[in-house]
Amino acid sequence: MEQFFQQLTNGLAVGGIYALIALGYTMVYGVLRLINFAHGDLFTIGAYLGLTLLTSLALTDYLSGFLGVGLLALMVMGLVSIIGILLERIAYRPLRESHRLSAVVSALGASIFFQNAIMLIYGAKYYVYPQDLLPNTPIFILGMPIPLMRILILLSSILMMVALYLFVQKTRIGTAIRATAIDQDAARLMGIDVNRVIMIVFCIGPALGGAAGMMVGIYYGQINFTMGWIYGLKAFTAAILGGIGNIPGAMLGGLLLGVIESLSSAYISMAWKDAIAFFVLILILIVRPTGLLGERVAEKI
Amino acid sequence: MKRLLYLVTGLFFVLVTGSQAADTVKIGLMGPLTGAWAGEGQEMKQVVGLLAEELNQQGGVNGKKVEILNEDDAGDPRQASLAANRLATQGIIAVIGTYGSAITEATQNIYDEAGVIQVANGSTAIRLSEKGLANFFRTCPRDDEQGKVATATIRQLGHKKVAIIHDSTSYAKGLAEETQANLKNENIPVVFFEALTPGERDYNTILTKMKAADPDFVFFTGYYPEAGLLLRQKKEMGWGVPFMGGDAVNNPELVKIAGTAAAEGFLFLTPPLPKDLDTPAARSFVASFEKKFGNAPKSIYPVLAGDGFRVIIEAIKGTDSTDPAKISAYLKQSLKDFPGLTGTISFNDKGDRVGEVYRVYKVDSQGAFILQP
Amino acid sequence: MKVPGSVPVVLFSALILAAPLVLDHYWLDVLNSIGLYTILGLSLNIILGHAGMFNMGHAAFYAIGAYTTAILNTQYGVPVLWTLPLSGLAAALFAVIVARPIIHLRGDYLLIVTIGMVEIVRIALINDVFGITGGANGIFGISRPELFGFKLRQPQHFYYFIWLFVGITVVLFTLLENSRFGRALNYLREDDVAAEGSGINTAAYKLAAFALGAGWAGMAGTIFASKMTIISPESFSFWESVLLFMIVILGGAGNIAGVILGAFLVIGLPEVFRDLSTARMLFYGLAMMFMMIYRTQGILPPQPRVYRLDRVGENP
Repeated sequence: MEQFFQQLTNGLAVGGIYALIALGYTMVYGVLRLINFAHGDLFTIGAYLGLTLLTSLALTDYLSGFLGVGLLALMVMGLVSIIGILLERIAYRPLRESHRLSAVVSALGASIFFQNAIMLIYGAKYYVYPQDLLPNTPIFILGMPIPLMRILILLSSILMMVALYLFVQKTRIGTAIRATAIDQDAARLMGIDVNRVIMIVFCIGPALGGAAGMMVGIYYGQINFTMGWIYGLKAFTAAILGGIGNIPGAMLGGLLLGVIESLSSAYISMAWKDAIAFFVLILILIVRPTGLLGERVAEKI
Repeated sequence: MKRLLYLVTGLFFVLVTGSQAADTVKIGLMGPLTGAWAGEGQEMKQVVGLLAEELNQQGGVNGKKVEILNEDDAGDPRQASLAANRLATQGIIAVIGTYGSAITEATQNIYDEAGVIQVANGSTAIRLSEKGLANFFRTCPRDDEQGKVATATIRQLGHKKVAIIHDSTSYAKGLAEETQANLKNENIPVVFFEALTPGERDYNTILTKMKAADPDFVFFTGYYPEAGLLLRQKKEMGWGVPFMGGDAVNNPELVKIAGTAAAEGFLFLTPPLPKDLDTPAARSFVASFEKKFGNAPKSIYPVLAGDGFRVIIEAIKGTDSTDPAKISAYLKQSLKDFPGLTGTISFNDKGDRVGEVYRVYKVDSQGAFILQP
Repeated sequence: MKVPGSVPVVLFSALILAAPLVLDHYWLDVLNSIGLYTILGLSLNIILGHAGMFNMGHAAFYAIGAYTTAILNTQYGVPVLWTLPLSGLAAALFAVIVARPIIHLRGDYLLIVTIGMVEIVRIALINDVFGITGGANGIFGISRPELFGFKLRQPQHFYYFIWLFVGITVVLFTLLENSRFGRALNYLREDDVAAEGSGINTAAYKLAAFALGAGWAGMAGTIFASKMTIISPESFSFWESVLLFMIVILGGAGNIAGVILGAFLVIGLPEVFRDLSTARMLFYGLAMMFMMIYRTQGILPPQPRVYRLDRVGENP
């Protein structure tokens, strides 16, 4: 029983990270109908930038503890969102009117570019985050030791997701985003500055991805330039699972995928873990392509 | 279509410029100069380069200078076979390399068909020397020896329930299976035998599952990044089971990744580390390496490459020729107990290095690697 | 459409034939690689260029072909050349089974599913599924092709073998382009609803395109396996698919000459610029973005079909 609970909480923590990255995918897809392949690499950039901020600028001492890490997160998110905006300007905006395939290939090109740029700048070796930024004593829930970090990651992921959801549902800009996602031209006719909306989306999505990257760096300690690839693909699976274009769907999909992965690798097989994740993806696309919570369709007024 | 033609013609012209061979003895060095194992490959280049330089300062071999031709295999079998083809066409008599059994394997036939002596420095898979290739040698030990030492260590430490984890690569799986078979012969039960996925970050699942099987000792045969993560996550779980690694965990980065607290007490098997080499030749080499590059060699595999270079030169001197057949025969029959940097070297008929090379190391509380008696 | 016998084709063929006389083993091997990727690119071209289906999992078909040859050859002693059609068949069969449930997916979803497929295949290979794939070690000891007792061992032997295969492929695929099948594929790429309305069974044609492309890639796998004599799952990763994708898209999807050019550029150029090899992928990424923005069709776009006036009214 303990094993089950440990695996479950672990799956939730991992799922929380998937969910954060998935939010980025889903938002971009919602407004641009584009799968931003480079998103996984924005996640990686977040992890690396976090490390650089900590080490190169010798801020490690200033940035430990909850407040410090929070500050670090904000810095990382800011930087990554700038990169996100640049990405949109350079690689995607010229292709708005073109065929879907062109944008996808361009996204893939951007992904390859980022990954290799990171490799060239930082080198191919594994990098390690400074230890003990946050206390990591186990907390006892129901008598079982759960690492504090695991809970922290899950909580912060949920917090950010809820914040995003409220933002999109309750604010004017959020409504503008939803409108653009439903119908770009109609939104334009309503006086919404579509370019600005897209820019905001490319601010928020990558910021969340970057934050996830930094969290992964702190939690696991080890980062390298290929980490974006598998996380990106799993996060994309999560987004599809929950229903692409749907924010609560991304949250649900991420957590669900994390748990499925954790439990199946514990009880079925370790080595097939990734294959199972991909299999889930294919299954969903065949059986219910709109995902668990459905693609965003026109809402009845 | 025209553009295609121009391009192709252009390529042809670029290619037909071959380099003219000066009158030197050419030895190739194939290693992972880029890619995941770039650390090893770059150091290999430094070690062999330094040895060649020193040799040339003393007049070279048989009156000729030695030229080292470096090629990058990027840790990938396909790149390696291209690199091997390139080296084989440039008039080398021997090649040193490489790190990674699968990578070496991709190049064996190419070198064999070109009649080039190959001395591998970091390829421990058993089958590489079981193919009857007359010109293949290795200065590194084989996995079956490592399996024996692992089993002996486990037995000596008195453990009763062992867990073995590998990472599905041919090297790690091979070593894991060897050890498992040996332990079975000694009636020590293996209660857990599984593979993890390299490149992942989260090993909590496998650790939790393994904990449920309640082993009192864990042997991990994969590479150092995963070893570091395993140690760190194991500590986070609050589980204190002793861990041992195979020789692929041998890298100072391991302690960085795991953190000194988690790495303390970790055991691993490896040929002796450069700082513990005690032959006079080794000590003077380490000193001149430090002088040139500012630090001692970090990994043992580049030093094994250095030994590869030295035995080749010794064979050239001994046979006073660069004929591969003669060199091969010399290495197998005449070279006995050659004082290498890593210990005495002799080769058997298959080209394997004879003798016990593996030692047990332990990580202390400062994160240093300490040789165990 | 390139008519065989026209000047550039003859010149190119002459150069290819003459190459072994001037080049050394290494560059011949590079041309071997280029030739192999040309075959693969042309096979992907059927699916991606002609039928317009986004397939990023092509390396899986390549893998199936290579592994079929490896297993049949090492376990059952089947000579390599006999495994050539068998590998093609195995890959084609696999493609049909896998594609059948997903053939109706639109554009980017199909793309993602194919990525998932190639990764599942690779993981299955690593995990030694059914105990025959040799796991991460791969399979070794594959024999060389033997033609009437003559064993192909050196790069120059393989050179003629590969480029002969390229020649056959080009001829066959050119004929295919101009046949009813080729036209139907192009039609459903442009507008599959209209195509269905015109009486073309889109699902059947799409599956056929997949099967053909996969089968040809499978045969390329046989050549690869017998040339390397060892194969391992690392050679068939998603990035291999990306490479093939790039060859087709950058060179010119739907255009045979474009694909050949793509192969030369993507495989040949890095060998010429070996020193920049670490930055190579970086340039590829940039090239992909650049091409999509400025020249979506690739360097050599597909030629429009030209019909002479006096032939109008004849049966095609």
